[in-house]
Amino acid sequence: MKTYDLIIVGAGPGGSMAAKTAAENGLKTIFFERGRKPGEKNSSGCGLGPRMWKQFPSMMKDLTPEKCPSLRAGAAARNYFINEEGIVVGYVMTRPTESVSYEPAKSWITMNCYRSEFDPWIAEFATYAGAELKNSTLIVNLLKKDGNICGVVDEHGEKYKAPIVIGADGAVSMVAKQSGLRTRWAQDQITVTPQYDFFAPPNKIDDIMGDEALAVWWSAIFPASYQVFFHDGFHQGLGNWLNKWDKNPLFYLNRVINLKYYQRLLKILDAKPRELQSHLLPWLKYPYNTHTDGVILIGDAGGFPCPLEAEGIYPAMVTGKIAAEVAAEAITSEDISKSALSKFDEMWKKTSVGEEFEAGEELYNIWKALPFSPKETMSWFVPMFMEVMGGIYDWSQPHAKRVRQIAAHVKSYMPKALPFIMKYVFPLVAKIFENDLDKIMDPQKLMSVIPKIMDLLPKKKKQRREKL
Amino acid sequence: MKIEIDGLTKHILGTGDFISIDISKCNNCGSCILVCLVNLWGRKDNRIYISEDYKEKCLECAACYQVCDAGAISFQYPAGGTGVIYEKG
Ligand SMILES: Cc1cc2nc3c(=O)[nH]c(=O)nc-3n(C[C@H](O)[C@H](O)[C@H](O)COP(=O)(O)OP(=O)(O)OC[C@H]3O[C@@H](n4cnc5c(N)ncnc54)[C@H](O)[C@@H]3O)c2cc1C
Ligand code: SF4
Ligand code: SF4
Repeated sequence: MKTYDLIIVGAGPGGSMAAKTAAENGLKTIFFERGRKPGEKNSSGCGLGPRMWKQFPSMMKDLTPEKCPSLRAGAAARNYFINEEGIVVGYVMTRPTESVSYEPAKSWITMNCYRSEFDPWIAEFATYAGAELKNSTLIVNLLKKDGNICGVVDEHGEKYKAPIVIGADGAVSMVAKQSGLRTRWAQDQITVTPQYDFFAPPNKIDDIMGDEALAVWWSAIFPASYQVFFHDGFHQGLGNWLNKWDKNPLFYLNRVINLKYYQRLLKILDAKPRELQSHLLPWLKYPYNTHTDGVILIGDAGGFPCPLEAEGIYPAMVTGKIAAEVAAEAITSEDISKSALSKFDEMWKKTSVGEEFEAGEELYNIWKALPFSPKETMSWFVPMFMEVMGGIYDWSQPHAKRVRQIAAHVKSYMPKALPFIMKYVFPLVAKIFENDLDKIMDPQKLMSVIPKIMDLLPKKKKQRREKL
Repeated sequence: MKIEIDGLTKHILGTGDFISIDISKCNNCGSCILVCLVNLWGRKDNRIYISEDYKEKCLECAACYQVCDAGAISFQYPAGGTGVIYEKG
């Protein structure tokens, strides 16, 4: 039996970051990966946000096209809006706005690269620091002595011993299960996210998309679908919580592909489908049960993807680093108990990841009720939004009359929009701005005021000459 | 363009089963059939089954395992170094 200070199950971004940190802290560390190399089992968007560069600058500056040839950075995002008839009724392109304060984030919003390149790249930092990586090895159980967890067992029955095990084994975590922290996610804590990868010639993407790094397809006929551009291809995927599907998830993803507009895009991009993937992605209001005696769960295994958009690579790296630091301290002080490891919770809560979860419930609720509720919400949201954005482009009427028509039409959506705003938008705004706004934005008061204001809109305008 | 999904996934075939169903726990809700992207679950004579060739096609997403509240599906990843390969994940 081999003995270590720290065992990490999984060599995704979380596991590798934990292994790197542990090795740098002098721990004899091993991390296991069931794939032949890190990354070949994973599928992601995969957009990497500026927070990673802000927090891990020396590492991230090493992420170059030489290391990861699929890398593509972009400063713009496109938002398509699709109505119930499957027509793209509008789109909005956005670039970093004036209020963006972190300098690099002014010139790019995400860097995108395939996990088959990113995961080996990040694992190399860990092996360079001295951690041992064991590929092609499935860990099937935790090793226990007198009921205490003291290592892991692989598929061949080989045992590895260590006082602490970090579960970095993703959404379907063996470590979570065998340690008793969680058997399975509740249906509203986990999404399934199918995704196509398309090949497209790099020059076509450059010419047609320019520096647009990604697009979101907001729709009344499928849950919001994302598109992420790489050097020579792009992902098109969508997800929803497991209890929200009424048809095969692929049915909805194919709806995106079959949009007339999308077909045109495929044609001009000269794009060909290259791979199909499906992966689970935890999406929680708040992480829970993250540790017990001798065990810490990080990244997806711990439920750390962002509660709004489920960005999960950065949280995996942050929690991986913290878990290794806490483990190092626990091992030095010879206290690996649950209460000693609760320092893990204390620490991640103080990070940018913790701050994100402060409004976790409100962010989760609004996302679930808006882009992930095509029938219930997007069916009125899309036409209402486009009325505001595009209503004026009608030259069959005098403009003033047009504005009144638009206002009247927007008003007709209020019976649906107001309850939505009260239920999802106000709580979020109140949570983000805190305290006093609660009082100003008392939903009951607003409900009584807003329709009255809308009623004040004149139905017919007096002619200017009448006043003379 | 209609996408033909055959040929869009690569596998290294391993031995040994990694998904199984305990019929005595199954309540026939059909959720596993619904969520499996590549349609590996079916119902015959009112019994749920997993397709015989699932090892060649499974995407290892574990959605079937995760969606089964009855706990009738056991799932473990296939042996290290085998199973689905994502080159562009
Ligand atoms: C379709 C999709 C799109 C996404 N898009 C984005 C995005 O654009 N940006 C972003 O930041 N996040 C995105 N995410 C989320 C992100 O992919 C995850 O949050 C992130 O990968 C979590 O990292 P991790 O290290 O915790 O787990 P993982 O990356 O899942 O790594 C776990 C590793 O452990 C290995 N493993 C599992 N079990 C065992 C075992 N028993 N023995 C040995 N090895 C094992 C796995 O093979 C895997 O390599 C997306 C997720 C999905 C599914
Ligand atoms: S999800 Fe579970 S209970 Fe439902 S049909 Fe499938 S195996 Fe049976
Ligand atoms: S793991 Fe995913 S692909 Fe495999 S049988 Fe289950 S649902 Fe289907």
